[in-house]
Amino acid sequence: MALFQMWVVKTLFSVKIVSTFMHSAWGWPICESIHFLGLSLLVGTIATFDLRLLGFARNVSIAALHRLVPWGVFGYLLNVSTGAMFLFTEPNQYIYNPAFQFKLTFMAIAGLNILAFYSLLYGRLKKTGPGADAPRGAKLVAVVSLSVWIAVIICGRLLTFYRPGDCDLKDAGFVATCIPHVRP
Amino acid sequence: MNAFLIWVETSALSVWVRESPSVFAFPIILSFHTIGMGFLAGMNAAIALRILGFAPRVPLLEARRVFPVLWAGFWLNALSGVVLLVAYPTKALTNPMFYFKLTCVALGLVVQTVIRRSILADASKDADYFPPMSGKLLALASLLLWAAVITSGRLLAYTYVKLTTI
Repeated sequence: MALFQMWVVKTLFSVKIVSTFMHSAWGWPICESIHFLGLSLLVGTIATFDLRLLGFARNVSIAALHRLVPWGVFGYLLNVSTGAMFLFTEPNQYIYNPAFQFKLTFMAIAGLNILAFYSLLYGRLKKTGPGADAPRGAKLVAVVSLSVWIAVIICGRLLTFYRPGDCDLKDAGFVATCIPHVRP
Repeated sequence: MNAFLIWVETSALSVWVRESPSVFAFPIILSFHTIGMGFLAGMNAAIALRILGFAPRVPLLEARRVFPVLWAGFWLNALSGVVLLVAYPTKALTNPMFYFKLTCVALGLVVQTVIRRSILADASKDADYFPPMSGKLLALASLLLWAAVITSGRLLAYTYVKLTTI
């Protein structure tokens, strides 16, 4: 895994155009601001939908509220794009950062959760009207969604706190949480 | 002013948030500030988007149900924001961007109150009700103000002139 991480870092470093922009005076601050705007769009729409599944604002039909979900997807896309720009610029600071590794894990759980929701539950839910109570499975999806996105935010904010230092490749462990170097 | 900044910066809370190596000091307080931001600005945006005509079948009167959660986000941020200010008073108070951010927060709250008391209170219970143009302009103003709060907040990390006085 550590060798794979080194390969990823090397590949990301080979793309220079992104880091040239990011190292310009306003590159990093602009992308960070967009990242936080996207975060708010995602949380605002998806958490509202999750809360409806949990029984909030029951007089709103689930399908009616679902019309806001594309805005959450838009926020997500903003964040994946700006997130990729951070990653291309400082791959060492992310690929070996335990906070980033946890962040990706939580994002993967969020993805599986969304997959479960649309493949198993939403087909029936979208036909229900105002006042309908969501089944227990949908409530579970909502709780997972709320917790996982909050965890993603926390991991994102902990990135700077868990910046990886340098280490020798042979001490790096299975998943490297430090920047490995091969010493001759 | 300097005496005041030094007094705050030497207080136990300020020193703890700034210097504690614990993840539960500065990093978690900053995380709370970001989570609160998502709920406050995000749910505000959800209401604004509904007023602008997206999700038309959500009855506007029901949009008010998100306010308790939105306010929880606000108070989480007011509280965590004060703690962050106590940790780095010089950094914030000597930066014009900080006053711009607070002004936008204040204006955002005013616009939000107007929206809640006028558009959301007068709205029909029916789905597919759309407020008049003035309501849409208020919603747009609300979106822009909270986006300005987020952007200026983010820029505080880049525009400060002095980190601490002590």
